[in-house]
Amino acid sequence: MRRDPPLGLSAWQLGALALAVVAPFAWAQESAVIKRATELRQMPGTSAAVVASLPAQTVVTRLPDRSGPWVQVRLADGASGWLHMFDLGPTSGAASTAAPTESSGSGLLRGMTNLLGRGPGASSTTSTSASGIRGLDKSDIQRAQPNPAAVTEVEGQRLTEAQAREFAARAQLQAVPVDPLPAPPRPAPANQGDPSQPQQ
Amino acid sequence: MKRLTLLPIARVTICGALLAATPTLFAQDPGRALGGLLRGLGGNLQIGNLAPAGNQGAQPTDLLKMLSESMESIDEPKEIEIGRQLAAVLLGSKPLSRDMALQRYVNQLGRWISLQSSRPNLPWTFGVIDDPGFNAFAAPGGYVFVTKGLIDRVDEAELAGILAHEITHVEAKHHLMALRSKARAGLFAALVGSQVRGSAAAQAISAQMLALGKDLYGSGLDQADEFESDRQGVALAARAGFDPYGLPAVLQQLRTASPDNQLFSLALSTHPPTQQRLDQLEQAMGRRLDDLAGKPVVRIADRLR
Repeated sequence: MRRDPPLGLSAWQLGALALAVVAPFAWAQESAVIKRATELRQMPGTSAAVVASLPAQTVVTRLPDRSGPWVQVRLADGASGWLHMFDLGPTSGAASTAAPTESSGSGLLRGMTNLLGRGPGASSTTSTSASGIRGLDKSDIQRAQPNPAAVTEVEGQRLTEAQAREFAARAQLQAVPVDPLPAPPRPAPANQGDPSQPQQ
Repeated sequence: MKRLTLLPIARVTICGALLAATPTLFAQDPGRALGGLLRGLGGNLQIGNLAPAGNQGAQPTDLLKMLSESMESIDEPKEIEIGRQLAAVLLGSKPLSRDMALQRYVNQLGRWISLQSSRPNLPWTFGVIDDPGFNAFAAPGGYVFVTKGLIDRVDEAELAGILAHEITHVEAKHHLMALRSKARAGLFAALVGSQVRGSAAAQAISAQMLALGKDLYGSGLDQADEFESDRQGVALAARAGFDPYGLPAVLQQLRTASPDNQLFSLALSTHPPTQQRLDQLEQAMGRRLDDLAGKPVVRIADRLR
């Protein structure tokens, strides 16, 4: 493992500093695996100093901080740094399933802790007291009686183009030209998909 | 939908009244669309007030008929009317959030993103649903809803990615096409409609739209449409000036959700496997949008101050 001295601050690094000041938003501190050999960097961005060179299949712990595509991770030896999120994959082969490698709790409880926790600062009391909460699901939709009055109400919230542009100016959001993204080859059909969804 | 044979349709005429009286028995019917249809029919005949405000009741008949005939006959006002009816179903399942500052913020964000879309002049309407679950929905004509539980777990760029994904569904008319294939899947719309006499007929047809909508939001869209909305939603959010990695970041978090977690179960069951969505996005994005990503993170709570 080689450790380089820090370089000058790039825009990425400034962004990361700003990020570090505000509380993180991400929920999970999940185990993840490096999909391909890559560099762990001291700060977000390809110009940042390299903390370590990681071979494929290295297991890391994902930390809550993110800056664009760069996510913070911790190595088994305690060192931490930043990786491109596309270099990170799930630890288990099972897609969309968390791999509880370091929790002794049940899968559901662990999931609740992950999802409701707000990073390292979150208290476990908050997480456990929320377990058992159910979100809008198929049964709610099946039971739904149409509520046209609510549609009329939500339509009353519509904003004009001018109001949206005013918001964007205040928020310092500027439109930029971005080409449509090319369609990659379709993945192999998923065996767990809903049978009513056509597989092509 | 080929599994909807004539046999269960024929049964409708015989047992329709019985089924309508015992709707929940058929919740797991493999002929789900038909089951949903019957549930909708039963519910509506009892409640009898389905059409959205200002609708004269005959219109739903025309909408469903047109939908099953050709997409070309669905012009923009009709698309919006279908969207209103589906929005009424969604808002019939859970109420709107009473946080008016949040509602306004989501409309600001969504309307700004919609201006970068190919359909900037639709009457875009955004709403926050008061629900702890993690989900977002769209309906034809520019209706987009997100749950409060989603808002609570994302930053602004991530919310922008979700809204852009939903806006792309509307742009590309994914829900209309899904409704059309469901409506065309059988003759049942016409058959069942013909069994209802007199003034109840208009309501019954409207109940069919209700049933189709419930089936649609309970089962989800074509997987190809989801991949397309992920991909073009990323481009759309970037076009509106947001970090393009908002949507991939949300999907990375969704990936860690256990499928049996009841806050996420509907979002997970109605979309392709999350890892597949991420793999597709990685292939489409490569690193080509990374230069647009170095933006400071904005918390939603800070926007509401």
